[in-house]
Amino acid sequence: MMRRLLLCVLPALLLLSGCAAPVDPDEARESIQVIAMDTAMLITTYGERSPAAAYACEDVIRDLEKQLSRTDPDSAVSRLNAAGTLELGELDEELIPILSAAEAYRRETDGAFDITIAPVVAAWGFAGGEEYRVPGEAELQELLERVDGSAVRVEDRTVTLGPGQAIDLGGIAKGYAAGKLTQIFNEYEVPRALAELGGNVLAWGDRPDGTPWRVGVQDPAHPDDRNALVGVLELVDSFAVTSGSYQRYFQQDGKTYHHIIDPATGRPADSGLTSVTVVAGSGAGGAMCDAYSTALFVMGEEKALDFWRSQQGGALFSLVLVTEDGRVVVADKTGQFNFVPEEGSGYTYETVS
Amino acid sequence: MKLTTKQLTLCALLTAMALALSYLENLFPLSLAIPIPGVKLGLANIVTVFALYALGAGEALLILLARCLLGALFAGNMNALIFSLLGGLSALGTMALLSQGRGLSVYGVSVGGAAAHNCGQIAAAVWTLGSGAPLYYLPVLLAVSLLTGGLTGLASACLFRGLGHTGLMNRGKADGHG
Amino acid sequence: MKPFPRLRPTAWDGLVVLCVAALALGIAFFQWRGGTQEGLTAVVSVDGREVDRFPLEELIAAPRAYEHNGYTLEVCAALRGEVSSLDHVKSDGEMGLRVARSDCPTQDCVHTGTITRSGQSIVCLPARVIIRLEGGAADPGNVDAVTG
Repeated sequence: MMRRLLLCVLPALLLLSGCAAPVDPDEARESIQVIAMDTAMLITTYGERSPAAAYACEDVIRDLEKQLSRTDPDSAVSRLNAAGTLELGELDEELIPILSAAEAYRRETDGAFDITIAPVVAAWGFAGGEEYRVPGEAELQELLERVDGSAVRVEDRTVTLGPGQAIDLGGIAKGYAAGKLTQIFNEYEVPRALAELGGNVLAWGDRPDGTPWRVGVQDPAHPDDRNALVGVLELVDSFAVTSGSYQRYFQQDGKTYHHIIDPATGRPADSGLTSVTVVAGSGAGGAMCDAYSTALFVMGEEKALDFWRSQQGGALFSLVLVTEDGRVVVADKTGQFNFVPEEGSGYTYETVS
Repeated sequence: MKLTTKQLTLCALLTAMALALSYLENLFPLSLAIPIPGVKLGLANIVTVFALYALGAGEALLILLARCLLGALFAGNMNALIFSLLGGLSALGTMALLSQGRGLSVYGVSVGGAAAHNCGQIAAAVWTLGSGAPLYYLPVLLAVSLLTGGLTGLASACLFRGLGHTGLMNRGKADGHG
Repeated sequence: MKPFPRLRPTAWDGLVVLCVAALALGIAFFQWRGGTQEGLTAVVSVDGREVDRFPLEELIAAPRAYEHNGYTLEVCAALRGEVSSLDHVKSDGEMGLRVARSDCPTQDCVHTGTITRSGQSIVCLPARVIIRLEGGAADPGNVDAVTG
C-alpha cells in the first residue's frame, strides 16, 4: 500500500512540474561533471558567463590530463617514465611548472612528498590496473633506492629521470588543476564558484546567499557514509584538500594497507593520523595544498604541527588533522575560515596555535 | 460499548466484506481507467458508510480497526498499517461528523470521507518519509476523490435502497430484543 | 436513533464537493506560488554528458538503468535506514537514491550507498557515470561539498 501510494507521487510531479517558479536571472549558473584524473570532478560556476567558464574549466582539465595521466600511454608523464628522458613538445608545457613545484614541496617537507615514489606505489598495486599485494622487504629496499626527487633534472626543455626512476603526479595534479581554475574564474569574471576535484575543493567567492561555502570534512571512520562528517569548513576564496588513509586501501591477512606510502619506508605511512586537511587562500596554490596534505599525513601529528608552525609569512595554510585515537586537531592562524565541529561525531576537538 | 449478538455478527460480517472489497478492487485497478498509478476506488469505504448509518460511529470504528489490522497482517506489511489507519480514521471521523448534518445525503458524506481518506494517506506518507514531497500529490488526489467518493456514494445509496426493507437500518435495535 | 440516510444528492452535497474542490485548488495554487522547492532532482551524466534529469520521486515508480563502457548500473529509490526481511523500513526520514546493482569491477558505486541530500553524488568510474542530487529545500545547514 505504501508503495502504491508512493507511486502516486510520480504523476503529481509531472502535473505540477509545469508550474515551477521561474529561474532568477541573478542565479545564472552552470554545473558540469567531468571524469578525469581517476576521479569525478564537479564544477559549478555562477554569473553571466558561467556556461563558458564551466566549459573552459573542462578544457583545462582535459588538457592537463592528457599531459599528466599515468594510464594514458601517450601522455607526457607516460612517455617520460617509459624513456627516462623527454624533450617536451609544445603540448607538454604544464610539466615544467608542476615538476618545479613538486621539487620545491619535496625539499620543504624533507622528502615526505616525493613524486619519484611511483615504482613503490606501483609495487603495492595502488597505481591502478593491477592487483593489490604486499611487496617483500627485499623488493621494497631495491625500489626505495630509486626514490629520490632531487635526481629529476629539468634542463631547458628536456626532463631527465634518474636510473630506474618513474614519477607519479597523482598527489599534486588535481591541486594543480584546481589552481588553474582560479585563472579561468578570474578571466571569465566568475563571481562565485565551487569546484570539487576528487577531494580537492576550491571555494571561489561566497555562496549566492552571501554566506561562506560550507565544505564538509569526511569522517574517516565512516568513509561510505556521505553524511558522516567530522566537521564543516566555512570557506571563502579558499582551497581545501584532504588526504586520508580511508580513501584507498586493501586488506590482507587481517591487516589494512592504505595508499599513502611513506617515501622513507616504502610502506603505508603509519603516522597515527587518519586524515589531513590543508586549507589555504585561493591565491596560495592548489598544488601546495594537495602536496602538503599528502606530506603531512606521512609526517604524523607532531611533525605536521611543527611544519605548520614553521611556515613562513606567519599564516599561509591551516590544518584539520583527524587522529586514529579519535581526536580532531584544528590548527589555524589565518582566521580566514571557520571550522564547525559536527555534533555527535564522537570526536574530541582541540585547537592548537 | 455493549454489542448484541446480532450487532457483533453484523460487525464481523462487515469486516469480512470490507477485507474482501479491498482485495477485490486490487483485481480491477482504477489506474487502468485513470492513467494515474495508485488511484483507488476505496470500495471498503462503502462498508464504513453503511456501518456508520446502520450501527453507529463506535461500531464503524471497530470494523475499521479490525479491517486495517487484518489487512496489514494478510499483506505481511505492517508498514502499510500506518497508511490505512491514518486514511481510514480520517475518513471515518469526517463522515461521522458529516452524517450529523441533516441536509447531507450519502453522496456528500462519501465524498467528504474519500477526500479525508486521501488527506490521511498523504499525511502518513509525509510522516514516514519525513519529506513534504507527497504533498504535491494532494490536489490531484482530492480531485480524484470527488469521483471515487461519488461512486461509493452511489453504491451506498443502492445498498440502502436494497436493504431498506430488512430493518437493518434501524441500528439493528428495532427487533434486537425480540 | 439515527435517521434513515438521504439517498438522493442534495444542495448540501454540492457544498461538500465545492469545499473539496476549493481545497484542492487552494493547495495547488499554494504549491505553485511556493515553487517546487521540496523535491530533489537527480542528474545523471555519462562520460561528462548529461543524459538524464528527473525528480527523485520518479524513481519510486520504476528503477532506471544506465549503460556505458559495457557496464550497466541500476538506480533505484531508497530510504536511509535499515530494511528488515519483512519489508519494514525503519526510516530516519530521508528519501534518496542508490545504485542497486552494477556489473562494474570496483562496485564503488554500489558501496556508496544511499545519497539523500542536494549536492551528494554517486560515481562509477569504470562506467564513467555520475549521479548527483540537485535542488531541494535550501537548507543552510547542508554542506555544499565534501572534501576527502
